[in-house]
Amino acid sequence: MDLILASFEIFLRWDVWVAILIGSVGGVIIGAIPGVGPAVAIAILLPATYSMDPIIGITVLLGIYGSAMYGGAIPAILINTPGTPVNALTTYDGYSMTKDNKARRAITLAYWSSFTGGIFSIIALILMTSLIAKVAPLFGSRDILMAALLGLVLVVISHRKQTLIAGMLVFFGMFISTIGMENVKYTKRFTFDQSWLLSGVDLITILLGLFAVSQAFILLIGDDKRVSMPTLKGKKLEGLFDLIKYKTVALISAGMGVIMGIIPGVGEFLAQFFSYNIARGISKKPERFGKGAPEGIIAAEAANNAVPAAAMIPLLALGIPGEALTAMMLSVFYVHSIIPGPDLFANHIDFVYGLYESLFLINIIVMIFLLFATKSLLKIIQIPQRFLGITILGLSFVGVYTLRNSMIDCIMCAVFGVLGYILKRLDLPIVPIILGMVLGSIMEQKFRASQARIDTLFDYINRPISGIIFAIIVLTLLIHFWAIWRQYKRQN
Amino acid sequence: MGKEGYQVGNLIFVILMLFIVSVFLISIPYETKWLNNIPLVKQPRFWPALCLAGMTLFSLLYSVQVWHSYKIQADQFQSELEESLSWVRPIEFVFYFILYVWLVPLIGYLLSTLLFFSLLTIRSGYRTLSMLAISLATGFGIVVVFKSLLKVKIVSGAIYDHLPDGLSTFFMIYF
Repeated sequence: MDLILASFEIFLRWDVWVAILIGSVGGVIIGAIPGVGPAVAIAILLPATYSMDPIIGITVLLGIYGSAMYGGAIPAILINTPGTPVNALTTYDGYSMTKDNKARRAITLAYWSSFTGGIFSIIALILMTSLIAKVAPLFGSRDILMAALLGLVLVVISHRKQTLIAGMLVFFGMFISTIGMENVKYTKRFTFDQSWLLSGVDLITILLGLFAVSQAFILLIGDDKRVSMPTLKGKKLEGLFDLIKYKTVALISAGMGVIMGIIPGVGEFLAQFFSYNIARGISKKPERFGKGAPEGIIAAEAANNAVPAAAMIPLLALGIPGEALTAMMLSVFYVHSIIPGPDLFANHIDFVYGLYESLFLINIIVMIFLLFATKSLLKIIQIPQRFLGITILGLSFVGVYTLRNSMIDCIMCAVFGVLGYILKRLDLPIVPIILGMVLGSIMEQKFRASQARIDTLFDYINRPISGIIFAIIVLTLLIHFWAIWRQYKRQN
Repeated sequence: MGKEGYQVGNLIFVILMLFIVSVFLISIPYETKWLNNIPLVKQPRFWPALCLAGMTLFSLLYSVQVWHSYKIQADQFQSELEESLSWVRPIEFVFYFILYVWLVPLIGYLLSTLLFFSLLTIRSGYRTLSMLAISLATGFGIVVVFKSLLKVKIVSGAIYDHLPDGLSTFFMIYF
């Protein structure tokens, strides 16, 4: 309790409040613009936070991370276009309600559901932190290696019907992370005698290319779409009554978001998918789902907003990101000299509590902002797409050029921008490349660090934690192959 | 592979990926070192080789999957080519982007940003004065926020050397 109170000290600083305000309001605005999203925004702003006080830089980006999905629900409900990819499920019931002249009710329901998911996950995490603080230091090199491997396996198999290409892209990301001078024997790897490759390929350059620059290309090459906004009629608290009516759905969905968030490599999509199916399963009128069921919005929004805080657990406790945004947040921590991992919970638990409290405040500020500013946000959604592309490209320059003022970084970023553009056109996933890079690098480090204690392959899994994680990996793969086999048999 | 059957362009993409993987595989002996008296798993070559082996395996499996769906779906080689040609469309914008990066150390961040925003606005088909003004204001706003307020590290333009002393320092610091 003393630690929780001590961690409140950072909120005595005015600049922390300004950072929370900018991050949370900025996150909502960014989330509300279809085609931008938190990944693009964090990738662009990350280098700009280098010169900031660590807690300020982290708070701004945490604000964007924690609030973008609130904003993403607005275009999903009003114009059937999700602001962020994870708001896609909200369009099913949200847009149907808009067509029935219930836009205000759907939007406020999405806000309150998101708020419930966000607050629920933060409270759950604060309560779980003491347990995590005890468990995290037990993780050794082999355990973290296995946890990272589990993350990669889950990333691959969670891309349903795209597992082969996801696997290929994960290994591609892992391969990129090996380029440069390796730091054990100091030999060059795939540098092709280019001095600029000696320090390796910078994650932020790749992130900016794959997420921001590729999106700018897509917007610049596409056409501007004229959208007509429905009028919002009704009371601000309308959705709250629906939420109270379907509180069980909200709590189950938030709980599902927490569980899925903690598991590396799973993320918002599966959390929503499971929550939506559970909500439909327990509903008295399951036929309404997809046609304007309030429970559908609650399930999707409560689950996806519970994930960001929960996804911070493997990130902070083990240094293992579960999806692209947490991989970016990992870079944020590294840049500001905060190394996530067991030591963080052992020695800087006040910092961890500070992060949770920031997330808590972000949710409250976002909720207040949205209840009063939704009508103004509707204008932002109507920004022409190609103009948005120009702005993203201009901002991407800031992101990549400020790293080292290097033309080569910019060329590399542009090349990965083209790759991202191709992948997006082909409907292929980008996230496996990023997680392959981050987790691949962690795996190689831990693999090499554990060599001193390894005689046979069995030694990797003869520790209790690594053994359990390995069993989970095997079980996950068996379930995956069994599902494929069952599907194959059904088709034939 | 697209979520709903075959997505045009996948065949060319997988051929490209197989080519890239092959180039890296051939380069392994030249681009990584094999050290004597060191076990395989401790070799600097081990990890990149493992990644490339994984890439190769999944690329081959994916190419089988793509080819299987391609054969089922019909004769669409023409559309494959059209799709792959569309992949070079961003090259034009890559050129503008690199030109922008090249111009910054010469004419400064402010001027190059204003130029970049105004030219791309015209290129994107916005011809009204109001849109051009909004575009210039956005470019100016980005420079003020990042360079003047957040003080991000962007090299100052050589053009500023030709300004009077006080003004030169001002522009170097803020724009």
